[in-house]
Amino acid sequence: MEYTVGSIAPIFLAPVLAFIINAFFGRKLPRQGDWLATLSIFISFIFSARIFSDFVFGKFATDFYVHKTFTWFDLSHASAVWKVDMGIYLDNMAAIMLLMVSGIAFLIHLFSTWYMDHDEKHGRFFVFLPLFTSAMLGMVLSDNLFSLFIFWEIMGFCSYSLIGIYNKKEKAGDASLKAFMTTRVGDVFLLLGIVALWMVLGSVTYVDIYAAIAEGKFAGQTVMGISFATFTALCIFLGAMGKSAQFPLHVWLPDAMMGPTPGSALIHAATMVTAGVWVTLRMYPLMVLGDITWFIAVIGAITAFGAATIATVQTDIKAVLAYSTLSQLGYMIMGVGVGSYNAAFMHVITHAVFKACLFLSAGSIIHTVHEQEMPKLGGLRKYMPYTHFAMMACTLAIAGIPFFSGFVSKDRILGDALYFGFMAGQNPMLAIVPILGFAGAGLTAFYMFRMMFLTFYGENRMHHDSHGHGHGHKDAHGHESHGHEIHQEHLDVRQNVPLLLLSIFTLGFWFAGTLTGQSFGKVFGKKVEWFKVLVEAPRVEQFVGHNRQPWGSVDSRDKTELPHAHYHHQSGYAGPNPDDHKIHKAHTIGAIASIIIAFSGVFLAFLMYIQHTVKPWADTFSGITTTLQNKYYFDKFYIDVLIKKGLLGLNRGLAWFDMGVYDRFAVDGWAAVNRVLFTASRWFDNVVIDAIGVDGTGVAVNLFNLVLRIVQSGKIQFYFIMLIMVLVSYIWTLKF
Amino acid sequence: MMGLASYLLISLILFVAGLVVMIARKNIVAILLGIELILNASALNFVAYSRYVTNNLDGHIFSLFIIVVAAAEAAVGLAIVIRFFQIKETVHVDEATQLRN
Repeated sequence: MEYTVGSIAPIFLAPVLAFIINAFFGRKLPRQGDWLATLSIFISFIFSARIFSDFVFGKFATDFYVHKTFTWFDLSHASAVWKVDMGIYLDNMAAIMLLMVSGIAFLIHLFSTWYMDHDEKHGRFFVFLPLFTSAMLGMVLSDNLFSLFIFWEIMGFCSYSLIGIYNKKEKAGDASLKAFMTTRVGDVFLLLGIVALWMVLGSVTYVDIYAAIAEGKFAGQTVMGISFATFTALCIFLGAMGKSAQFPLHVWLPDAMMGPTPGSALIHAATMVTAGVWVTLRMYPLMVLGDITWFIAVIGAITAFGAATIATVQTDIKAVLAYSTLSQLGYMIMGVGVGSYNAAFMHVITHAVFKACLFLSAGSIIHTVHEQEMPKLGGLRKYMPYTHFAMMACTLAIAGIPFFSGFVSKDRILGDALYFGFMAGQNPMLAIVPILGFAGAGLTAFYMFRMMFLTFYGENRMHHDSHGHGHGHKDAHGHESHGHEIHQEHLDVRQNVPLLLLSIFTLGFWFAGTLTGQSFGKVFGKKVEWFKVLVEAPRVEQFVGHNRQPWGSVDSRDKTELPHAHYHHQSGYAGPNPDDHKIHKAHTIGAIASIIIAFSGVFLAFLMYIQHTVKPWADTFSGITTTLQNKYYFDKFYIDVLIKKGLLGLNRGLAWFDMGVYDRFAVDGWAAVNRVLFTASRWFDNVVIDAIGVDGTGVAVNLFNLVLRIVQSGKIQFYFIMLIMVLVSYIWTLKF
Repeated sequence: MMGLASYLLISLILFVAGLVVMIARKNIVAILLGIELILNASALNFVAYSRYVTNNLDGHIFSLFIIVVAAAEAAVGLAIVIRFFQIKETVHVDEATQLRN
């Protein structure tokens, strides 16, 4: 198989082109160019699918990669190397990710053409959507942290624009600002980490960083007293925390649902939030070297559990989904932290599929019934059978029910977490990671089925109390909610087909080869477990002395089939102290535990919301409920304490310094100094230059004039007399 | 007895007369006349010395030159006086103050 730039670049360039055309000429195009955006993503999808099929069916080796670079600029001088390369880095992981992003983005575009129809922001929406997708695709393709950062920021800008697309709503504007500012906190650290890597290694290309790790270039380097590897790993992970909405920086993601629902689907599923996980996966060797994997695992576990608890009390469909995204992102990050590299990446993919589907389903509901508060919905199963089917499949997947994709990936993460927390000989405190992980899994099953039961089952409550209290809620279109007549759903290509297509891929065997991902009911051979075989943490030794391919080259390396023994072990576990036998045991225990936990969560939801035999615990534990409804007071804490007390106080201090010290002494003092100087120079000017120099000259000439004026009388006869006197005196002197 | 001294005496009288006229009179024309007298006194001196001392024609030629110069000077001078009179309607020399200051 052969790769030229021409067979890779269109993945990124087609949506960029669509963005440019839609941005400048979108208004003039029929349907404001939404078909163009969708088509461009479809082109990306075709190219991605070709690469995917090459990588997945063509070679079963983890170490194959295509790396093409060109020099962006070269400021090298003598021995100092100042050279920035840009390029494409394609490996198995990128191939899978490209297919996922372009495929899901295509379906989201298709759905959006239905959802955003006749919306005032239709054209604007289809300007940012392809740009967003192209930035994500570019980020996946990029071979260095620097271009990754560029695409990272473009995504940040696009999410800002998409969240705040209804810019007449104040809440949307606030949410977009919040998203932008919160991720900015992480981005500062990411940039710091990139710059630090650049300063020490002279390159931020992945393969150079891997090679530097293998060659031990990080050894002995310290920054501010801590090891350089730890510093850069921590900085990059903090950037990932901002983008992937991890625990202290998670506050922006739930607010990000202020945008149109398909935009949320794109932000929550295919792009943006997975970017943080992506960079953590790419920099996994650095995280291991910096010894911060335990920190990553703890942050992930806290996010996974905390967000799940908040999701149990939300009443807005989109809010439940937003918190479930947070929770699932927590699982991905936790997976990276516990060394479950392969499963964490698989969870990125499986989560993207079912979360995109869930958000699109929610969009389908909201657009049909113009209501997104779950207490006012209910019984929609009759009216929206297709949406119900898709959403149910995704809910089963996210809840971790066997045979569905969420089970496969999440269960592997939990199994590795179990091993990491209890058996890998780690600090016993780290047992918190699997405990929080399993608790979160149970809660996930509970709140997702709570959402399903409240939305699709039971009585329809829309006509009863939609005119009652809580009237002020608005749906994504800004309409006041009314008791609309619900129309029976018909199969619509743009509305339902994306949902149904996505729901097909919630089945586990697409990813695992086996239906469950565990030894139960394994139906295919090992070879078919392509995901385990193809995705592996980068083996850094492989990159020492790697050779890059120039930009214009045709890459036609043969596939390199590695013996199976070369893979670490079958679990894909890359964390500390691997022991195949114990890992296997941990996975078996984890699988059984997670199945029990998931079903008990579903059963509890069933009892509460279908049978009504168990009263919801909201009243029983009202204190906890209030805490959860206030999202653990994080927003309050950030605004009241950090911003109002801390930042505003700091600002006031700085303002005092600026006004009192800087203005008073430096600026005003400088003015006083200038005033003295000005007085002195005025005196010099007036006295020395004007009085002595200029006027003095005139006076001197005048004085001289006084003499001359006597002689130059203008009387000719006076001249005669003087002439004769001169003559006489001359003769007089001659005589003597 | 007609010697050199008598010529010089007449020349002296002419010169002093011209000088007095030049200084004392306020009429521009009179001043020009005074100048003519002085020129003639010097021309007479040239001729007298040429006849009695060197005994050649150098002095004669000089005096001829002086006559030519005097004629030219009188022509230019009178022209200036006429213009002056046209502007000022007087020939009083103290009125010629335009170059002053």
